[in-house]
Amino acid sequence: MQVYLPIAEMTVDAFLLVGIGFAVGWLSGLFGVGGGFLLTPSLILLGVPAPVAVASGANQVLGASTSGMIAQWRRGNVDWTMGGVLVAGGLVGSAIGIQLFAWLKSAGLVDAAVSLFYVVVLGALGTLMVLESARAILRRSKKRQARLHEHFWMHGLPFKLRFRKSRLFISVIPPLLVGATVGLLSSIMGVGGGFMLVPAMIYLLGMPTGVVIGTSLFQVVCVAAAVTVMAAWQLGTVDIVLTLLLLLGGVAGAQFGAQMGTRLRGEETRFLLGALVLSVAGLLLWGLIDTPARLFNLSAG
Amino acid sequence: MRWLLALLLLSLPAVAEEPLVARLSTDRVELSTTFTGGSVMVFGSTAQPIGPGGAEVIIMARGPDLPFTVRRKVQVLGLWFNGPAARYGAVPAFYAVAGTLPAWRLLPEALRRQYALGLDMLRLTPTGAREPEFRAALVEIKQEAGLWQEDIAPVDIVGGRLFHVNLPLPATIPAGDYTVEVLLVDSRRVAARELLAFRVERVGTAATIADVSRGQPLLYGVICVVLAILAGWLGSVLFRRN
Repeated sequence: MQVYLPIAEMTVDAFLLVGIGFAVGWLSGLFGVGGGFLLTPSLILLGVPAPVAVASGANQVLGASTSGMIAQWRRGNVDWTMGGVLVAGGLVGSAIGIQLFAWLKSAGLVDAAVSLFYVVVLGALGTLMVLESARAILRRSKKRQARLHEHFWMHGLPFKLRFRKSRLFISVIPPLLVGATVGLLSSIMGVGGGFMLVPAMIYLLGMPTGVVIGTSLFQVVCVAAAVTVMAAWQLGTVDIVLTLLLLLGGVAGAQFGAQMGTRLRGEETRFLLGALVLSVAGLLLWGLIDTPARLFNLSAG
Repeated sequence: MRWLLALLLLSLPAVAEEPLVARLSTDRVELSTTFTGGSVMVFGSTAQPIGPGGAEVIIMARGPDLPFTVRRKVQVLGLWFNGPAARYGAVPAFYAVAGTLPAWRLLPEALRRQYALGLDMLRLTPTGAREPEFRAALVEIKQEAGLWQEDIAPVDIVGGRLFHVNLPLPATIPAGDYTVEVLLVDSRRVAARELLAFRVERVGTAATIADVSRGQPLLYGVICVVLAILAGWLGSVLFRRN
């Protein structure tokens, strides 16, 4: 069934969009990630203009993360103080990101910039994940003593705040910076940023794993909502028809994927996810390196 | 098609009194959420015989003028980025020319330029890059999208005095006011001329969405947030697997 996307101004097969939503939702349920980093590139490859793919991707992430956040909230797994600091940083980061995006759009550099961001961020992340999980799989027999809390330069920063739920007494500067970075990426890449937020919360901030998922989902929901509003307001690039079709497939897919994910072991999951992240980065890098079929392109405005 | 044409021709007033009478099959094209392209038929009759040995008919249709930018990709550190740009302030978003014969065989260049008959006769003045490759690329991309058409199908002649042509409208045509100019050409000059118009309108949900997103973008953003949250929540309730 062909459907006209009013903001993307193009006609696509509705079932194809629901299918993409389902596939990405399934993978995200399987690996326990938001899936925005798979969704936005898929839309761009489908021919959706990059600004619309990014903004609608962020809008989709909002919908896909809502139910997870509510579930975590019910179980009391959200550190509201930490969440508030992260969101404050996230709002600043995403506001900067939207301005940067508007400038890139006027210079005709959005497509290349979005691809480049994906290549750099996903390339680095995928490499780290693959290396780390491969090491973990090889060393499975040896048990290492984990220290509860390591002290380094970060703990000398001022403006300390007590985060009761996370059992931390640290400066607000690192969580603010983490939130801002993730907000910036969210507005330029159309992702929730959970894939960066979770490792940063565990390794950099030293939060206990129990509250990490709930708190990161809280930040993702708030920042994705902010990016949606700012993109709709300043760029006019949110396509609600696109978002809703993707959500229809995505939410169903996530439930099936999550069911299957429980059968995979941690290291294998991280290895597979890392490989997936690397292949998306590779595909987009190829798009930048490959000599374009036509040197000229046309855009409205 | 034939019977439809016959039916439409019945609606023409006093055929053969005027040198040229032309009409459109519709004055309104609706862009709905399920629009996958359509067409407009231009038909009419002439007082004098048309076709080989007689007069000829040229039809030119154009859509709203919109700004477009053509960019050329350049290689930086092995990666391809958009480089130099040529911005055209007013480019017809849709343009089609058709005739019983190609326009360049019927009219001298000065007249073709005056009436903008032919893709090479469109007045396109860029700011920025001025190389002819940019204009060529603009024409090529528009043609490939089916938004610019030059003699893709000839104007059919029936019975020496009746003519018709079907102008295909691709799915990507923008909303706005479209004009259709019908010219009767005799011995390399324009003998008669008729100006017609139709409107391409967004209708239904797609129109409402586009209007709200442009007119009240902040409200639209908030609606998108609420709808996404509702859809996500509803979906997780419906598809719960445990």
